[in-house]
Amino acid sequence: MRHGLMKWREDELSQADVLSRQYRLQKSMEADGIDGVLIYTNHVRSAAVTYLTGFTPYWSDALLFLPVAGKPLFATALSKRVGNWIKSTNPTSTIDHSPRPGELIGKHMIALGCKKVGVVELDHMPGGLIDEIIGVTDVQLVDASTMFAEARTVRDAAEIALAKKANQIATDAFASAPKERLLVGDVTEALELYVRNAGAEECYVAIAPDLQKDTRLARTKGQVELGETFAIRLSIAYNGVWIRRTESFLRTAGDDNLTQLARWADGLSETVDPSLAMASQLATSSRPAGASISGWTLEAPIGNRPLQAVATEKNQTEQSLPYGVLTIQLDTKQGSFVLARPIGLHLSPPTAEGAV
Amino acid sequence: MVLYGNAWQNDYLRYGVDFGILEGEGIAIVTRDGEATLYLDDPFEADRASVECDDITIVVCKDIVRDVAAKINSFDNSNIAAAPQRHLPYGLAQLRQKHNIADATVILDHLLMVKAEEELQAVRRAARLADEGYAVFRDAAQIGVEDYALIAQIEAFFRANGVDDNFMIIGVGGPEMRGMAPPSGKKLKAGDLVTTELTPCIDGYYVQICRTLVVGPPNEAQQKAFSLYHEAMIAGIDKVAPGVSASDIAKAENDVFRKYGLGDYVTSEYTRVRGHGLGLFPDTKPHILEGVETTIEQGMLLIVHPNTYHPEVGYMVLGDSLIVGPDGAEVLTTTPRELFSVPQTRSAS
Repeated sequence: MRHGLMKWREDELSQADVLSRQYRLQKSMEADGIDGVLIYTNHVRSAAVTYLTGFTPYWSDALLFLPVAGKPLFATALSKRVGNWIKSTNPTSTIDHSPRPGELIGKHMIALGCKKVGVVELDHMPGGLIDEIIGVTDVQLVDASTMFAEARTVRDAAEIALAKKANQIATDAFASAPKERLLVGDVTEALELYVRNAGAEECYVAIAPDLQKDTRLARTKGQVELGETFAIRLSIAYNGVWIRRTESFLRTAGDDNLTQLARWADGLSETVDPSLAMASQLATSSRPAGASISGWTLEAPIGNRPLQAVATEKNQTEQSLPYGVLTIQLDTKQGSFVLARPIGLHLSPPTAEGAV
Repeated sequence: MVLYGNAWQNDYLRYGVDFGILEGEGIAIVTRDGEATLYLDDPFEADRASVECDDITIVVCKDIVRDVAAKINSFDNSNIAAAPQRHLPYGLAQLRQKHNIADATVILDHLLMVKAEEELQAVRRAARLADEGYAVFRDAAQIGVEDYALIAQIEAFFRANGVDDNFMIIGVGGPEMRGMAPPSGKKLKAGDLVTTELTPCIDGYYVQICRTLVVGPPNEAQQKAFSLYHEAMIAGIDKVAPGVSASDIAKAENDVFRKYGLGDYVTSEYTRVRGHGLGLFPDTKPHILEGVETTIEQGMLLIVHPNTYHPEVGYMVLGDSLIVGPDGAEVLTTTPRELFSVPQTRSAS
């Protein structure tokens, strides 16, 4: 569940910001002859509804229906007692409650005269909710994932600012981590405390406690001993926007070679464009001597998941992305290391488009 | 059996393959001979699963629904069941008729409700950490501190002590407070009620504690209200035994409110449930509500909490987790059943 700071902050993400996003998707609907777009949300598959409304459910699930014109309807099984909280954090939607939110949305589609509705990630929609919808209406449901992803690729100043803020929290958290550390908990406790005190909505910490043995990052118990080198991944949500940052460490002291690798990764985050071919961008970057890239993964927010893998060294696709997170495995004479940085945050958003 | 899960509704999946998924979606196919394959759509989660669950086969998918559908389509003459019915992705739900896929939700629900002894060992460890966590919460509560900073203290403590996850909501305020939610940046001030449900998870198993504290000395109305909740919780816990219904427990709690003329406040307008099951999900069946006729069985893990709105003081909570034993409740949480008070002299710097 989400249990960090969750509140509407007009200065960080304004109603005008999310209304512009809704307007952009509505223009795509018009062009595609779609009467509305339906999106599922829970706190795991939250990103599409968060993008359109700024709202993330801390618990339970819900449906958002954005008609081709007009205000979105947010239908949830959460009780009316939680309604005030939802209204306070989802100001651009009409909120309605029902133990059968699919049925409620289906009736709303009928009232609006919808014939064809796009569903983001239709195949992933809970079958029970689809059953509720088709139990009350014979509206045609079509997949709208591509349409949504395309509308969502526009770099958005508010989103980039939030991603930068999340990245700064992660950077500062790592900088504040204790330098004397023996156990996993010595580090993870301090990181979690820092990140949540800084107002993060969520924080996941994964660790590879001994990189010489295993570079895979997992949710490791606090009492496990750290090896000579270890890596930590911080996944942070701040006001609905997710980033990851992974750092590799020596257990006992700083190391010039590791510092050089980290600076190289910092440099990448200032130069790499997530929408361009990653392999060639990495090939032309000037890595520290003796370091070779053994693998990489590019993640981005394109659909319902806050971050999802869109390209790897084995699957090198290109697509327009608002921003990304690049994770790199590096081999050096000292061993293997893992680093991750948000990328594309330095690129300028286009001039805001779309009247509200 | 096909078992679906994500970090929200993970219990069915976790029962089958013991993986606590955090991101993306997971689907397990568990065969009758005990073979388990876990399909995950996130490569980092797959890495984590390969470390945390080294005895199952893990498959990373670009399109998890398509890949699992292909696997199901490859089964010939197999009896297939799936759970949970409501959450099964539409792309798989569409195969129900073609493959005569049975709904296994009820079978799994019973397995999830009645715990085996090994499961109860994790439950007892989680209960100890619920008590310790509430002590951290109480110590961190002080005038001027923001609600999210309070939660930060708890989460840090839990991460250092092997707690993988924690369900937690909070309320800060007075009579205007109608319930609990995630933190919104409220600063604690003198006279506030501070309510929380704390639900640490150990090895997948959640145990909950609900307590209320007052910033400064509690006033007479708050003390009087608390004694009512205390009486209702004890009435509910005393009712717990194999063979009674969930409704019987709820009625015992609600009758105390009715006795004091507060019957309106045990309705859905003011409260959700009077307790619920716990286990691999922090809010599982049976829901303790009048009208829920589920029979209580030995080995169930429940919380009894008469949490609701009180018209004079606001939303108040009190609840203890328990295992249903042969003769009644074995209460797990040991934090005193008090309306705690935080000294007004303790202020955040």
